[in-house]
Amino acid sequence: MRPRPRPIAVAILTTVLWAASPRLVRAQHWPTEPVALAGGRLLVGGDVSATFGSEDPGWFTYTDYETSAIRRLRAGVTFEARATDRVAFLAEIRAETGVGVTPYAWYVRIGPLASGLVDIQAGRIPPVFGAFTRRAYPQDNPLIGSPQTYQYLTSVRADAVPATADDLLSMRGRGWLVQYPVGDAVPHNGVATVAAEQWDTGVQVRVGSQVLSGALAYTAGSLSQPRVGNDNGGGQIAGRVAWHPVPALVVGVSAARGVFVADNVREARPDAPAGHDDQRALGIDAEASWGRWIVRGEYVANAWRLPPLDTPRIVDPLTSQAGYLEAKVRLLPRLYAAVRGDTMRFTSLQGSAGDDTWEANVSRLEYGIGFTIRRGLLFKTSVLSNWRDGGRVRESHLGAVQLLCWF
Amino acid sequence: MTRRFTALALRALTARGASVLVIALAGDAPGAAADGTITGTVDVRRSLLVTESRPSSAGLGAAPRRPIEFRPAVVYLEKAPGGAFELPEGGRASMDQRDQVFVPHVLAITVGTTVDFPNNDLTFHNVFSLSKTKSFDLGRYSRGKSKSVRFDRPGVVQVFCDIHSHMRAYILVFAHRYFAVTDRAGAYSIGGVPPGTYTLAVWHEGEVRDTRTVTVSDAGATIDASFVIR
Repeated sequence: MRPRPRPIAVAILTTVLWAASPRLVRAQHWPTEPVALAGGRLLVGGDVSATFGSEDPGWFTYTDYETSAIRRLRAGVTFEARATDRVAFLAEIRAETGVGVTPYAWYVRIGPLASGLVDIQAGRIPPVFGAFTRRAYPQDNPLIGSPQTYQYLTSVRADAVPATADDLLSMRGRGWLVQYPVGDAVPHNGVATVAAEQWDTGVQVRVGSQVLSGALAYTAGSLSQPRVGNDNGGGQIAGRVAWHPVPALVVGVSAARGVFVADNVREARPDAPAGHDDQRALGIDAEASWGRWIVRGEYVANAWRLPPLDTPRIVDPLTSQAGYLEAKVRLLPRLYAAVRGDTMRFTSLQGSAGDDTWEANVSRLEYGIGFTIRRGLLFKTSVLSNWRDGGRVRESHLGAVQLLCWF
Repeated sequence: MTRRFTALALRALTARGASVLVIALAGDAPGAAADGTITGTVDVRRSLLVTESRPSSAGLGAAPRRPIEFRPAVVYLEKAPGGAFELPEGGRASMDQRDQVFVPHVLAITVGTTVDFPNNDLTFHNVFSLSKTKSFDLGRYSRGKSKSVRFDRPGVVQVFCDIHSHMRAYILVFAHRYFAVTDRAGAYSIGGVPPGTYTLAVWHEGEVRDTRTVTVSDAGATIDASFVIR
């Protein structure tokens, strides 16, 4: 389900790196400021991160079947081309081990008002739901792992669904490789509740000021299955309102509803009742900061509705509740410490052998430090302790280090 | 014949803020010498762009556009005359945070000066520096509040905001008083310079861009030394 490398993306990445290279050579070191070309009309930024961590036999940290978030190399180039003061084209091209080169984001941004109170973005756009997706970059994440809502692979797939509750329960705790009888029969990883590794395609409007702002987006995919093309004839509407009452605090409320199940499932089971194919989510996020402290928290309630097919049927929506609390404190100008507590809880489902949560509840505690070697060059290390009440591996304590640089 | 001492500040300032090595040399000088003044202009012809935030595709809207802040040059003597290091204890200076810009963009001070960093924006700022000359982190604070740092070593200090990546400023800390920051017309003036031959350096945006040898005669004349930076 991950996008395949495209020749055009490779060409753009090569061109941008070539264009930026004279500046890099002249400077004889990695720049700390974005590279400005064409009189400032074209801005180029970049980041490279190398993450090395323990083996993860429980697949707690995987973002797809092949890639662990604590064992990967990643490089990205972001550029912003300003056609006029009110029209800009933004794109981010990312190269990553196991994935290749992908156009992570590409969209046009239009500011119709001189006041800057309204922005319209169209293309492969950043998600409006929640807070973490827009700060999932290694340099914005104080730790190495991601909150589980945005990374942990559940046993739900869009292109394959369980025929019975027993099918679903048999996949508890093994979202890294899921196989169901309806739809695509090839085993594949399940989805995260909210995808942070891939962005959706559509149109987004943001209106507001520094104190209060709102954003609304209509996109082709869904929270957990962002897409470039549409695979189910539906779409998703998502929105977020952010309130910034004082500089120290921002509170956001998000909601999303979109068609999730792909057409191939309907084609496989034409008898499936209509309307049982969407994903709905509600999120609350907050960030407070003072002095050398930043504290962030987020809560996401999510529900997938899958078609009730065979007995024992999956009648009710598959719901989950997840939340995390994260704190970061700067100890010295170059040194900070951070910790994140994180849990996901799933509702019960009645199967032939009794009831159980439809997916195994999972929790994580991650703590670590970051050391700034110089501006734009950061070393991080963290410990990730994971617990799960199902699956082959139920407890796993992992360590990871990460070196990243950006400009 | 009186005797005077000249202190040589070797590599007083480099772009990376090298520490200062001071060597005292003895020499002869006429007793009735008058101090001179070095004046001139610095004509900056390099194209300057707005200090940009990192381009981010993750924003839900555009960041407000900002004008190019005034970026003056600093002209100073690399060899400081005798008495230059007898500085009064501690002065006070201020670097404001306004409209997400440090004002002034360049601050030139002497060793022992305490700099205040008031926040006059509606948003939080987090002033910090990782420079070898002075490393500090003032944490986040809001409008109307101010924190201060005392600079005890000569060199260049690059100042940033941890929240707004486009905010950047320089503090040049001198071990002597023979320096001047150019005004908006590019003009500068360094007064009270004892007779002698000096190396005059011009610094702009993180680097020493040019140097020149100037001689202040015993008559205390005004020396014109203008620079063009391309």
